[in-house]
Amino acid sequence: MHGWQVIRDFFYGMTGYQFVHHAREMKHDSEALFFTVTLGDLIGVPIMPPVYSLRLLPYVVPEIAAWKRQLARRREFWEKEEYDLHSV
Amino acid sequence: MNALIAVVLGAITVYLTYTRYARRIDRDVIQSDPKRATPATLYMDGVDFMPTNRNILFGYHFKSIAAAGPIVGAIVAATLWGWLPAMIWLIVGVAFMGWVSDYSAIVLSVRNEGRSLSAVAHRLISPRTRTILFLFIFFYLLLVAGAFVGIMATVMETQPRTYMGMILLVIMGLLLGQMLYRWRVGLVPATMITVGITLVAIMTGHASEPIFKGLNDGLNSLTGGAPLVTYFDPTLAGFKGAEAKIMPTLLFWALAISIFCYAGSVLPIWRMAQPVVYVGFWITALAMVLGLSGAAIGTFTKPEVAYFSIPAFKGWNPQMGPAGVMPLWPMLFVTIACGAISGWHALFGSVGTARQIENEADMLPGGAGSMLAEFLLGMLALLAISIGAKGNPVAAFASGLGGFISVWGFPPDYAVSLAFAAFIVIVLVVTQLLFRVMRVTLTEWLGEIIPPLRNQHVASLVSIGMAILLVMTGTWIYLWQLFGAANQLMAALSLLLVTVWLVSVGKHWLFAGIPMIFMYLTTVASILVTAYNLYFNVYLPNLDAGRLLPTIGSGLMVLVAVLLVFASVFIGIDGFRAFFKYLGKPAPSARPAPAEG
Repeated sequence: MHGWQVIRDFFYGMTGYQFVHHAREMKHDSEALFFTVTLGDLIGVPIMPPVYSLRLLPYVVPEIAAWKRQLARRREFWEKEEYDLHSV
Repeated sequence: MNALIAVVLGAITVYLTYTRYARRIDRDVIQSDPKRATPATLYMDGVDFMPTNRNILFGYHFKSIAAAGPIVGAIVAATLWGWLPAMIWLIVGVAFMGWVSDYSAIVLSVRNEGRSLSAVAHRLISPRTRTILFLFIFFYLLLVAGAFVGIMATVMETQPRTYMGMILLVIMGLLLGQMLYRWRVGLVPATMITVGITLVAIMTGHASEPIFKGLNDGLNSLTGGAPLVTYFDPTLAGFKGAEAKIMPTLLFWALAISIFCYAGSVLPIWRMAQPVVYVGFWITALAMVLGLSGAAIGTFTKPEVAYFSIPAFKGWNPQMGPAGVMPLWPMLFVTIACGAISGWHALFGSVGTARQIENEADMLPGGAGSMLAEFLLGMLALLAISIGAKGNPVAAFASGLGGFISVWGFPPDYAVSLAFAAFIVIVLVVTQLLFRVMRVTLTEWLGEIIPPLRNQHVASLVSIGMAILLVMTGTWIYLWQLFGAANQLMAALSLLLVTVWLVSVGKHWLFAGIPMIFMYLTTVASILVTAYNLYFNVYLPNLDAGRLLPTIGSGLMVLVAVLLVFASVFIGIDGFRAFFKYLGKPAPSARPAPAEG
């Protein structure tokens, strides 16, 4: 059973994993836009009145750390193109 | 020599290298520790930094590094020097250098917070190294793009049986993207539909051959049968050199490939590039699996397709063209790049795979395991060319691979069609990605100085235009060797970085340092030999005959060669300075703190 699982994972890595990886990137792009619009004041872009941001906060807390790490690696926060070779 | 012995030799190489050498380095020198936190776990962001199962990562890394390199390199090397030197280099290269390069690039990135090679170079060596690496990567991509477009256009011009398959590949790729991302069809049914239709179109390609032959004849009649460009090709007439012609069909197919690559470069990656790569992967994997297993059992069931028919050794220095030389050292070592050692793997490993390593114990199967698997792909290509031995190198490869596939009972016409398609597909899907990366690199490198290059269409068209110019010189073998040299130099630079890092943290560095010195000297020497060949064999004859395009193209190649030498000398000087600096006084490690618990 273990051997079969290894083969399945290997083939998944060669085939379907690229779509999952890309789907994660697309999800991140949408989330980054959403966060910037709703919680932009966290990175110095005051867009929405903080009262609405506070209402949303409990729902998005788990994602905030990942969003900030992603933004920290970009040259500009609105930049979509990442200058490395992943997904190639 | 027969195919079975070669397959067994390959398997023994993989086993001994992994168990007797790679594991020992991993355990005693790198001291990989499953309890140490990796960048994927420390900086998990759900996208790039994502802890991933080791088997999935093995498949992902293997698929990302296994492309046209091991196939084309083995074909060219066996044609020039015979199958024996090519096989020895594949075995020795992967056992002592190839896996070291792949594995150590991943280790370097994992132990340096997931940084890319250029970022580590910036920290450990000097800031200018990073800038030089950008220039280096762009020209490296330009060379491989020119070589690939040239190879594909030449094959497609002479093989109308491949057209229907390629057209369907593109259509099915577009359909797959739509099915997966818009219509939300499951991956399995979408794969069965798109790969199935493409496969049928490819294997029945010979049936549509007469229609496309008519198209080619029609294109050539546009100029009344006169060539568009005439050039001197040193690879013709048994490597003595002769006049060659570029007909309208070749330009047509080169432009068709370019339009496809342009679309792959500017459309969202899910729309075209990614699904076409996926469909292409299945076609190639099927051909390779059928071919490798056919090679093993063919020795018993169909001996006529399993015995080598080209000479084992053709000479130390085959003469190519009136003034050209092709010494086994250094040229063999850059002609076969992927399969033995490759800089692309290190580049990808450091930014792609390293950021997904869940546990340090996974670095060895991910890096070394994938490289050893790719070595087997190179061996298969070498077997195919050694057995085929009919027509030009690519035709010989297709004939050999077709022979292996036919062991499974496929009619020869269908098997050879699949083999040709496998070759073109693997080159085509890589080329569209190359232009995509080239466009991004060009923007990053020169976008601030030349603002129009920030536009993706302008950057794509500039990249494609330069590649077409190189194609019009006609001499793709030199282009291939120049690319191979740039690729191997990239591997040497990656090993240089690893060596500097090993010294900086006070570890034994010889396992990376010796391959680095060998590859560095070999690649710089090979670039000089190629520049000499290009100048005397291509540039001067075309200049004397007053041919504008081939003269500009070959002059550009000589210029790129000189630039590569300068870039490598600068990086080498900085690297060796840093090496001696850390040799006396190791720097504090930049590795992340151990995880709690």
